[in-house]
Amino acid sequence: MIFRHDPEIDPEIEKISEWRRNRFRVLVCIDGSDEAYEGIRYAAELAENDETDIILLYVRPIDQGLRSGGLQVRVVRQNMLDWGLELPGIQYLKRGLEMLIDPESLAEDWTIHSDHADSWGDPLGDNKIEYQNEDGKSIVLKLKTAPEPASGILDQYELGPYNLIIMGAPSHWRAEWNSFWGAGVVQKVAAMSPCSILIARQLPEGESTKKGHLICTDGSAHSMESMCQDAVLAQICGHPITLFCTAHAHSTKDEAENILLEAKGMLAEMGVKVQNTIVRVGNPVSTIVETGRDFDIISVSDSGKNRLKRILVGSTSFSVMGAAETSVLNVH
Amino acid sequence: MARLSLVRDSLQTHSSGNGWSTLRMRRQSYQRLLVIKSYINFFYFWEKRWFFVAMALGVFMLSQPVPEGLSPEGMIVLTMSVVATVLFVTEPIPLPTVALLIIVGQVLLLSIPSTIVARSLMTDSVLFIMGSLMLAVAVVKQKLDKRIAWMIVRVTGTQTSRICFGISVVSGLLASFIGEHTVAAMMLPVGITLITLTSDDPKEVRNLAAVLLFSISYGCSVAGIGTPSGGARNAIMIGYWKEFFYDPSSPETYKYLVDYLKWMAYAYPMFLLQLPIVTVILLFTFKPEYSNLSRAVAKLRMQVQMEGPMKPGDWLSIVFFILILWGWVFMSSDIGMGTVAILGAACFLIAGLVRWEDVNSGVNWGVVLLYAAAISLGVQMKNTGAAEWIAENFLAILTPLGADEGLGLWAAISTLTTVVTNMMSNGAAVAVLGPIVLKVASVAGESPIVIGFITAISSAFAYLTVVGTPACTIVYASGYLKTTDFLKVGWRMAIASIIIMLIAASLYWPILESIF
Repeated sequence: MIFRHDPEIDPEIEKISEWRRNRFRVLVCIDGSDEAYEGIRYAAELAENDETDIILLYVRPIDQGLRSGGLQVRVVRQNMLDWGLELPGIQYLKRGLEMLIDPESLAEDWTIHSDHADSWGDPLGDNKIEYQNEDGKSIVLKLKTAPEPASGILDQYELGPYNLIIMGAPSHWRAEWNSFWGAGVVQKVAAMSPCSILIARQLPEGESTKKGHLICTDGSAHSMESMCQDAVLAQICGHPITLFCTAHAHSTKDEAENILLEAKGMLAEMGVKVQNTIVRVGNPVSTIVETGRDFDIISVSDSGKNRLKRILVGSTSFSVMGAAETSVLNVH
Repeated sequence: MARLSLVRDSLQTHSSGNGWSTLRMRRQSYQRLLVIKSYINFFYFWEKRWFFVAMALGVFMLSQPVPEGLSPEGMIVLTMSVVATVLFVTEPIPLPTVALLIIVGQVLLLSIPSTIVARSLMTDSVLFIMGSLMLAVAVVKQKLDKRIAWMIVRVTGTQTSRICFGISVVSGLLASFIGEHTVAAMMLPVGITLITLTSDDPKEVRNLAAVLLFSISYGCSVAGIGTPSGGARNAIMIGYWKEFFYDPSSPETYKYLVDYLKWMAYAYPMFLLQLPIVTVILLFTFKPEYSNLSRAVAKLRMQVQMEGPMKPGDWLSIVFFILILWGWVFMSSDIGMGTVAILGAACFLIAGLVRWEDVNSGVNWGVVLLYAAAISLGVQMKNTGAAEWIAENFLAILTPLGADEGLGLWAAISTLTTVVTNMMSNGAAVAVLGPIVLKVASVAGESPIVIGFITAISSAFAYLTVVGTPACTIVYASGYLKTTDFLKVGWRMAIASIIIMLIAASLYWPILESIF
C-alpha cells in the first residue's frame, strides 16, 4: 500500500505542487442555478489565458436518511442510473464543460484522465475527470461527497490550493449577526475562504452592455494591493477598469481624489490602463452598490476581519457582497 | 504551527523573570490565552453551536425549581424532550446520536435499569418501521416502475393534465400501502424520463417538470395517511393509543386497539378526496409549457417494449406484495404489523429477489434507532406525568382563545403539528407530539382517537419544505425543483388539506365513532 508521505511519492507531490503554484487556478462551484452558470461564463473568459486551470466542482451532501424516511437516497440514484438518466451533479458539470471547451475540439486536443475515491462511506464517493491539452492547461470536473456543501468546498480548497473561488449568488444573504441561526453555503464559504472569491450574479435581461470592472479602494496598503490584483485579472479578460473611492464627507473629497491618482499611477507603472475614476461622498456600502449597478463586476478588498469584528464594526466588503446587484469580487 | 512554537518560546523567556509587575502578569496571561487559543479549534464550536445551546438549555431547565404539578422525573423527561427537539431541528450532530443520548439519559438521569430501557426500545411499531424499510428497498429493486408507467399512460392518454392525474392516483394508491418513500423512489425516474424525452433543455420544461414531479411527491404524501402501513407515523400513533389507553381488563378500552381496517375507514376517504385537488392545485400553480406529451410517451413505449414480457420473478414479487397487503389487512391485529412486514422482507430475501447487501446499504438503520428512542422517550413522558402537565398548560393557553374544545382545539393541534412537521421529519414529529396531544385529549374530554388521527394526518402536511416528507426529499434529489417551488405550491396544499381534514373530523368521524 502506498501512503501519501511515502518517500517515493513525496517528490511527485512536490512536483505537482510546484506546477500548481505557477498556474492561476480557479475553483468554480456549481449547483445548477443560473447564477452559477454566470460564474462559469466568467471562468471561461479567464480560461482563454494559457496559465489558467479551471476546476468545476459539484458537492453532493451525504445521505441523511432520516429526511427520506430511512430509505437512502442512494437507492433512488441507483434507480435513476438504471433508467439511463443522469444524476443532477453530472448534468450540471457536463453543461459547464460544454461552456468551457468546444465539444468538437474535445476529442482532438484534450487528453482525459479520470479518478475515483470512496469518501464518507458513500460508494459513489469523489469522482474526478481531468481534461488536459498540450500546453498543460487543464479543466477538471469534480463531483465530491461531503456532509454539507460548504465544508466540501473548503475541503477542496485544501487539496488545491486555488487562487480564486467562483460561486453563484444565493437567493438571500443573511446579516452577519443573524448568521448564528445558520448561514447559506455561499456566505459560509465567503467567510472562511482563504483565497479571493467571486460571487457571480446574472445581469438582468437586455443589460449586456456594461462597463467592466469597478475597483474600489480606500487607500490602505492592503486595498491597493488587492486593486492591483484585480486590475491584472480585468486586463486578462479584456475588461475596462474604473477606479472608485468613497469620501466620508465633502471635506475629504480631495483626499479621495488623491488616493485614486496614486492608484492610477501604480497601475500605469504596471502597464494597466484605467478608463475612468469616480469619487462619491457618503456611506461606502451604499455608494459602491449604487455605482456598481452599471458594471459587470465590483471588486472590493477583504479587510480580514473576524466574525466578531464583522458583527460589531461591520465589514464593507461583506456588506457589498450581500447587497450588490452585480457580481462582486472579494480580493483576499 | 510556527506561530504556536513562537508563542511558546516567548512564554519560556518571560517565565523565569525576576521581580513582579502587573504589566508582565498581563502580558503573560495574554500569551497563555494565545497558546490556549491555538490549541482549540474554534470553528468546531461554531459549527456545533446548537449542540452546546441545547445542552446549556438542558442544564438551565434542570437547575430550575420543579413547577407545581410536575414530578422531578417529569421535569427530567421534559428537559430531555426539549433538548432532543432542538437537536432534531438544528441537526448539529448526526441524528442517530440523539437516539443514543436519549437512551443514556434515561439510564443516567432517570435511574431506570438499562435492561428496562433496552426493552422499551423494541416495539411492534419499530419492528414495522424496520420491516417496511427493508420492503421498500426490495420493491424498488424489482424494476416494475417502467411497466407501471406504461400502464398509467395507456389509461390516461397523452394529455399532460390527465397524465399528471394518473401519476398522482397510481403513486397515491401504491404509497398508501407500501409507504411514500418506496413509491417516490420508484416513480421519480418515470417523471424525469417524461420530462427529458419532451425536451433536453431544463429551462424549456421548468413548469412541466414541477407539475410532474410534484404529482409524484404530493400524490405520495397525501396517500401516506391512508393506511397504517403508509408511514412510520401511523404505526407510532397506533402504538401510542395502545400504550396510553388500552387496558386488557377493561372492555371499554378495546376501541383504542386500532386495526388496519379501522384506520382505513377513518383516513382512506380523505386521501381519495385529496387526489383530484392535488392535480388541480398543481396545474393552476405551474401551468405546464406542453399540454400534450405524445412524443415522450411514444419513446417511453419503446423503452418498455425493450424490457420484454414479464419474467417469473416479476410475477413472484407481485404475489408477495399482494400477500403482504393481505397479511396487513387481515392478520395484523393478531400477529402485529411489524411481524407481517419483516416476514414479507424475509420472503423477498429467501426468493432471491433482493440481495441482503442491497437491503443493508439501502436502509438507514440509524433511523430505526432514532424512532425506537423517540417512542421510548414518549412512553416515559406518559409514565412520569410530563405529558399530562404539558397538556394541562397547553389547554390553559388555549382556553382564553376559545380553542380548548371541539373544532378550535382540533385546528390548534393541527396547526401545531403542521408547524413542527415542517421543521423535522413527520415520524419524529408524531413521536414527540403524540404523548402530549393524547393527554390533551383526555384532559379536555375529547376523543383521543380523533385527536390522534388529527396529529398523525396533519404530520403529512409538510408540503412547504424539502425536508418535510420523505417523498419531497426524494423528488428534490432529481435537481429539477427549487426550494422556492415548494413554498409556491405548498401553502395552497396545506390549506386545502387542513380544511378537508377538519370537515372529515366534524362530519365523518363522529359517524364512525358510533359504529366502532
